[in-house]
Amino acid sequence: MLVSFVANGLGPFGLKVLTERGLAAYQQQYLFYWYLGGFIFALAALLLSRTGLLAREVALGAAMGGCSLAGQSFTALSLAKGVPGHIAFPLTTGGSLFLVAAAGILLFKERIGPFGFCGVVLGIASLVMLSVA
Amino acid sequence: MTEGYLYALLGLLSFSALGVFHKLADTLKCRPSPVNALMYGWSLMFVTIAITVQGGAWQTPPGVASLALPFGVSASIAILAFQAGIRHGDIATSWLAINLSAGLPTVASILIYHEPVGLKRAIALSLIPVSMALLWKDKHDAERRHE
Repeated sequence: MLVSFVANGLGPFGLKVLTERGLAAYQQQYLFYWYLGGFIFALAALLLSRTGLLAREVALGAAMGGCSLAGQSFTALSLAKGVPGHIAFPLTTGGSLFLVAAAGILLFKERIGPFGFCGVVLGIASLVMLSVA
Repeated sequence: MTEGYLYALLGLLSFSALGVFHKLADTLKCRPSPVNALMYGWSLMFVTIAITVQGGAWQTPPGVASLALPFGVSASIAILAFQAGIRHGDIATSWLAINLSAGLPTVASILIYHEPVGLKRAIALSLIPVSMALLWKDKHDAERRHE
């Protein structure tokens, strides 16, 4: 999870560098190469693991890929249609954290202790504040 | 504006569904490597279709590709590690943990581009390690209960 935390944090920083270099107009093309880089690594990892593909993995991979792109595209569209960033970002980030936590508890019967509950509340608060700061 | 809020709501539902699908993949015994490869493969196909349909230009300054590729690799490592790690944790807390990494680009922006910190940002950033510590404590307690 620590690897995931650090690597995931670095992932979106490229967009900031893109903007700083005056290349913000090429965001869609950036996204293409960003997914291409991810796919090359993922394909190499798949080939090294010498595993085949299951039908359910193909279906879930498609659903997850669609959700990933849809999430980013809808957020961008929302901003383009005039929704202020201080509303769009907390709604998509904080809201999704809340919904996923709720799904974990209600659908997957996960149990969160008092420390975990406080951690979730503080974490959501922190990300909402970060997106409006 | 109403249309904008509808898009924001759809964005919220899309990101939430992504988190739920990660957990569902683990529940259905899908393996991390194929899930990661297929997720990126499909995403690449969808974004290619989107650019083509919208008539977007394919030619870009050389800096775009050389910048995007390593950051894409980094994100792919994150998803692979997350899908593998979710076997040992709950989606309710793991999804938050991976999203809390949003603090890292903020810290990098402050350090590299000297962006102003501000009180709200300082408070938000300081809450991240506290939240992570609480999530770790919760997981630690849960493991002790299962022993």
